[in-house]
Amino acid sequence: MSGTKPLSRFHQPISVPGRRLLHGLRLEFVQKKAAGGGGRAVNTEIPLIPFIDFLLCIVLFLLASFSASGELPIDKNVKLPAAQNAIDMMEAPVVAVTTTQILVDGIPAGSTRAIMEANRMQKVEELAEILKNKRELWKQIHPSPNEPFPGNVILQVDRRVPALVVKSVFQTAAFAGYPAVSFMVSRMGK
Amino acid sequence: MAGIDVGGHGGKRSSNHEIPLIPFIDFLLCLVMFLLVTAVWSQMARIEADAKVPGPPKDDQTVDPPKEKELHVEMRGERKFQLIWKEGTTVVNTIDVDRKEVPVNEDVTYPDLGKKIEAEWKTNGSHRAPADKKFDRAILHTDNSTEFKHVVAVLDAIYVTTREFSVGGKAEQVPAFQVTFATD
Repeated sequence: MSGTKPLSRFHQPISVPGRRLLHGLRLEFVQKKAAGGGGRAVNTEIPLIPFIDFLLCIVLFLLASFSASGELPIDKNVKLPAAQNAIDMMEAPVVAVTTTQILVDGIPAGSTRAIMEANRMQKVEELAEILKNKRELWKQIHPSPNEPFPGNVILQVDRRVPALVVKSVFQTAAFAGYPAVSFMVSRMGK
Repeated sequence: MAGIDVGGHGGKRSSNHEIPLIPFIDFLLCLVMFLLVTAVWSQMARIEADAKVPGPPKDDQTVDPPKEKELHVEMRGERKFQLIWKEGTTVVNTIDVDRKEVPVNEDVTYPDLGKKIEAEWKTNGSHRAPADKKFDRAILHTDNSTEFKHVVAVLDAIYVTTREFSVGGKAEQVPAFQVTFATD
């Protein structure tokens, strides 16, 4: 159709695209963002609160199993034998029997050599006296008749000590009111 | 990040505070390391022995209690052990076991003795029911010069034998024998 004026850009059915915000910048990441392309965020927050909860749980567990006095003290002159079928340790007075002397909680309570020289089973008087005193002290601390004296004692005997000494100490403890005797051993792997 | 937000920012000083978490984590890590270093992992255990001390006869005891079968473990022989079942002074049965020592590091074990005692208990043991509160007794006869490590090895062999024992409705495996020393 000749003689018709062309339509202005605002009236044409398909218009020329105009300027767009931020598209003129040369920075690629700005253009990508402005273009609405999206994409996963590169920055991530490390979750610290669960990590603190985890550390607190570990601290509480270790505090619960912490013992300021450590395990039961072992006399440095005692080398314990090992056993496979042993049970867990318990709290009880400890009688250490070395190749030379007998000690109760570190206090000398007799001589191993004296028993060996006598060559027969005998009562160790000092040991009996100390154990009886400990029993009396326990009864004073626990006056209730509903709480009987447990009579537990742990013998920490060196592996080289002869059976005569072990039997003498064993019987002395029994007559002093400690019939429930246990021998301390180290655990042997099964 | 943790923080305390009280809202309103009218004044110059900011009321919002960020709690510093990184130093707190450092503190917890130091505490955990200290507790791990000082932790004591116990290797100690115990073996029980029972000392039945004969007491004075009770006034109300008119009838002698029935004599129960006891296992006497004789370890005075150099080449063998003897397992003797006795009822009072009557010998019921005698079994010999070769004394085969199996060294483990600086200690000794007697695995054959353990197996034989277990077999004997299964055949001749009197207290095997889980509800039975009594236990079979084993009496150990040792030479006066025997080293304690051998005594512990024999005790360990005796404790190989276990039985089921019900305590408060719960069943657990416990040693089948109560061991004591002979006074001879």
